[in-house]
Amino acid sequence: MSALLKKDWFGLGLVLIFGSILISLFKPAFISPFNLYVLMLSVSLMLVVAMSQMIIIAIGQMNLSVGAIGGLVAISFTGLMEVYSMSILPAVLIGLLIGLACGFINGYITVKTGISAFIITLATLYIFKGMNLGITEAQPFYEIPEAVKFFGNAKIFGPIPYLVIIPIIITVLMWILMNRTSLGRYMLAYGNNVQSSELIGISSTKIVIYAHVVSGLLAAIGGMLVVCRLQLGTPNIGDSWLLPSFAAPVIGGAILAGGKVDVIATAFGVILVSIISQALVIFKIDPFFVQIFLGFMILLAVFINRYREYREERRTKVFSDE
Amino acid sequence: MNNKIPNFVKTNQFGLLILVIVFICIFSFSTDGFTSRFNIYALSRVVALDIMIGLAMMVVILTGGLNLSLGALGVSAAMFGGWCMESMGIPISLTIILVLAFGSFLGWINGFVTVRTGVHSFIVTLATMSIYFGFMTLLTEAEAFRKLPEAFTDFGSLKLFNKYISPLLIISVLTCFVLYYIFKYTDIGRKLIAAGANPDAAELSGISVDRMFIYCHMLSGFLAALAGIMLTARIGAAIPSMAGHLGFDWLLPAFLAPVLGGTLLSGGKVTVFGTMLGAILVTLINNGLYLIDVGEFWVRFFLGIILLGAVLLDRAREYFTVKNSIVS
Repeated sequence: MSALLKKDWFGLGLVLIFGSILISLFKPAFISPFNLYVLMLSVSLMLVVAMSQMIIIAIGQMNLSVGAIGGLVAISFTGLMEVYSMSILPAVLIGLLIGLACGFINGYITVKTGISAFIITLATLYIFKGMNLGITEAQPFYEIPEAVKFFGNAKIFGPIPYLVIIPIIITVLMWILMNRTSLGRYMLAYGNNVQSSELIGISSTKIVIYAHVVSGLLAAIGGMLVVCRLQLGTPNIGDSWLLPSFAAPVIGGAILAGGKVDVIATAFGVILVSIISQALVIFKIDPFFVQIFLGFMILLAVFINRYREYREERRTKVFSDE
Repeated sequence: MNNKIPNFVKTNQFGLLILVIVFICIFSFSTDGFTSRFNIYALSRVVALDIMIGLAMMVVILTGGLNLSLGALGVSAAMFGGWCMESMGIPISLTIILVLAFGSFLGWINGFVTVRTGVHSFIVTLATMSIYFGFMTLLTEAEAFRKLPEAFTDFGSLKLFNKYISPLLIISVLTCFVLYYIFKYTDIGRKLIAAGANPDAAELSGISVDRMFIYCHMLSGFLAALAGIMLTARIGAAIPSMAGHLGFDWLLPAFLAPVLGGTLLSGGKVTVFGTMLGAILVTLINNGLYLIDVGEFWVRFFLGIILLGAVLLDRAREYFTVKNSIVS
């Protein structure tokens, strides 16, 4: 039990369960099939985006270009299908390839120049977004194959949409990557302490590039999932990803300095943010409040993390005195 | 190495100055209208704002932090000013003082939370960005203040020096000199830099690092509020969306100017005039790209490339400087 209490995701899980029960007691509409369907859609999309940011946070960097990659892939994906009448599979593959290339560029430049990833990804944000606008001239693509539309809106059974399949697979894979593979552990080691990770023979170049490539791939998948959901490819896909992409991992207890992320807690963070946004809508609260709320949530999470760290420090101090 | 001239040549500012001159030459030869009175006046109005935004970011970068809430903060302060003047009928001079105080207060919140939680200011200002902008939209109901006093809006469209220069630019340049003086010659300015350069050493020599960091954030809020007022005067109205969604339109110039100017992201080094030159360069390139007609949609792409090129060049310059100094 005490081991459970120490997990990042445990407290969050409790908050989620009690919060949902409380909300549905006041507003039964919250657990209506339609509402659950909408909730699951928003969770699926943000899950992928949050994972894309989380892996960069794990190595102690940040990726501002997540949204820009998602947007660029989204319009490339739809553009290939509409303008070049490509079939779905090659369009998806090219989309993934673009995401991979974007991530590689971020990682390669960051690690080779030693310049902060913040500045590099700020620059690539503008480059990717600029390419997006330059190609589309701010016009959306509307001609989407029926299969893509179906995937974005159909339900497997009950209120469960097809769209959740990919994000769930990704979350499982990410959990395996971060907890069960040496690559994931190396990433955490690198995020924790660059020098010592190099001393034990971990290649910085490899780790940073891999992390950014995974981030780029996930951002690409996120962009394509949004296309399925919206049934069109607009150039502004990804514009609003920045805040939520950081919110979920941070609420999930990730430390921005790197070295500590929790996949399950991040997923719970995504669900928490979605439930709260949804609840505010159901209680007919001004949508602008949602934004303020998200801001306060991040601050609250930061305070709680800080407090836990503080308690941890005090406890270890007591032990070392003995 | 005792020779003064080569030292100056090696600095970032010198490289920037050359770049500015080169770009002015390129644009004046390759485009019509770059040197026209209208264009120079328009440039001076834009550059004034970019300098101010760059300085506002610079003083937080000094602490090794960032201020993502810059745009949201500036717009919130400007909307507060619009409300004071239009709805409350408060005189202009008092309004400006109130707005600057309000901006400093919002900056204080950023600084206070950052220092107290020990969390990186990136995440704190990411949150406050959303909070400030959310409250601002909620309170103003996304409505603009368009009936500002004429004396105020007239100032924004005033033309000085044979109608070439906007008075806004003079405010920005004056601010540069004031900041330069503060950082170079005053006790508090030196303490701010010391705290940013090596917090532990500063703490040991009796400087309250936490307080210095809060001051930096307050100064950032102050300058962002000033930028907000200037933008309001320039447009002639206080509009909630004047810096884009969440104030994002300000972020690129905010980072470009100090980074191009040679401010270290790890903190502890400020270059006031470098930031000024950086802002001028960005505005020049932006303006030139429109005049060359690359298409408005590609401007953002080229700005990103230029930011990337600039940091890479700077890294190369550093590398060669270090190599040369080892050799000699």
